[in-house]
Amino acid sequence: MTMSDLISIKGSRDGLRLRLDANVAWSELLHRLDLHLGERQSFFHGANLVIDLGEREVSSAQLDEMLALIRQHGVQATAIDSTERSTRAAARSVGLTARPLSRSPEATPMPEAEALLVMRTLRSGQVLRHTGHITLIGDVNPGGEIIAGGSVVVWGRLRGLVHAGALGDRSAIICALELRPTQLRIADLIARAPDQQALSRPEFARVIAGEIIVDGWEAFKR
Amino acid sequence: MGRVITVTSGKGGVGKTTTTANLGTALAMRGARVAVVDADIGLRNLDVVMGLENRIVYDLVDVVEGRARLRQALIKDKRLPELCLLPAAQTRDKDAVSAQQMIDLTRQLRAEFDFVLIDSPAGIEAGFRNAIAGADEVIIVTTPEVSAVRDADRIVGLIEAAEKGPASLIINRIKPRLVSRGEMLSVEDVLELLAISLLGIVPEDETIVIATNRGEAAVYDPNSLAGRAYINIAQRLAGEDVPVMAIPDQQGMLDRLLSLFGRRRT
Repeated sequence: MTMSDLISIKGSRDGLRLRLDANVAWSELLHRLDLHLGERQSFFHGANLVIDLGEREVSSAQLDEMLALIRQHGVQATAIDSTERSTRAAARSVGLTARPLSRSPEATPMPEAEALLVMRTLRSGQVLRHTGHITLIGDVNPGGEIIAGGSVVVWGRLRGLVHAGALGDRSAIICALELRPTQLRIADLIARAPDQQALSRPEFARVIAGEIIVDGWEAFKR
Repeated sequence: MGRVITVTSGKGGVGKTTTTANLGTALAMRGARVAVVDADIGLRNLDVVMGLENRIVYDLVDVVEGRARLRQALIKDKRLPELCLLPAAQTRDKDAVSAQQMIDLTRQLRAEFDFVLIDSPAGIEAGFRNAIAGADEVIIVTTPEVSAVRDADRIVGLIEAAEKGPASLIINRIKPRLVSRGEMLSVEDVLELLAISLLGIVPEDETIVIATNRGEAAVYDPNSLAGRAYINIAQRLAGEDVPVMAIPDQQGMLDRLLSLFGRRRT
């Protein structure tokens, strides 16, 4: 069985949702989860997740074990979804919100948003995180962060930090009406803003030959 | 029913306490019943700035813990009978009060005063959260410095998340000469970043330091530029309650202050 069958991550309007396989041995699942989060550290660090345990019966001791594991990766659980009453009781006993899940999830698929559209100012200390693309209509102020599995479009001034392709996709791009970030990251690459003032024009950043390159929007051809 | 307005900033030392004292005094000078509350438990200084330190018998923590009635703890101002101070406790810390207790306290104060101004502690922890818990409106004070504006931005985000907004802004300690030379953030620079409404600007002014050390509000001093700026801001605050009154619009006030700077420079 491949890893992606055991662990899947979905982004929706309500945030990130981690679905864990209900059949494989618990210790094996935790081991895979450890690897999964470790390999995608830049995406997951600081994230809040809803964890979907499906039809598995999990004790509060096992949940504690899992919570300790994800905490090591800088990840917090906000809620547990489960079809099993005993699992939900265990979740509540460790202080988590527990939500019932329908036994036939195929009948009611999670609305998965490939791209997220947000209209607001992203202020210092605020983080926008999504597995797909992110479009923000508004400014990213210094100290604000966008972390996306895909590309990032900022229809406004980008003065904070953006990490595109944070799940490893180097073909992701970042564009903004005014690109003055404190830092840009694409996949595993990091670029810092030049020390002199940038021009006030729409620009985009993409990876060319292992480097993040910023260009005027006119240069964009695909 | 009175309005509960919390004065906060994120960064320390930008003028929250001075702003609270001067706005409270300016509003009371107009005849409003005003209570100023020091929510900086453990680091009180609103009483010092207002020159009321030696009159403290009971404090905010005594009231929420039931050792004193609100009436007993409120201290009347030296000059203005309509102005009262509820001092913070000096020997306790921020954990001595809960958000619910602050909400209950503001409910009591609101019934007896037209304005309740709460002086928030710096930071984004429990003390700040308590200070905004009972607020109807929030005033954010910043100075035109990058670090203060950054913290103000963080605070705006937290206030939005707590659904206490929209917050309004006072930019304190503007040094017109530095701005005109392009060496300081301008009012426009700050507003462009924070994107919230401007309540007023206060110029850097030595008379504030002198008045504060004497325990007197600068708004009493007709020669104090900053004092006049605070009176302006109080008018705008009160103007929202008295729509008949003609209040200067933002641009008008800005122009007037800037023309004052102009005169001062020559």
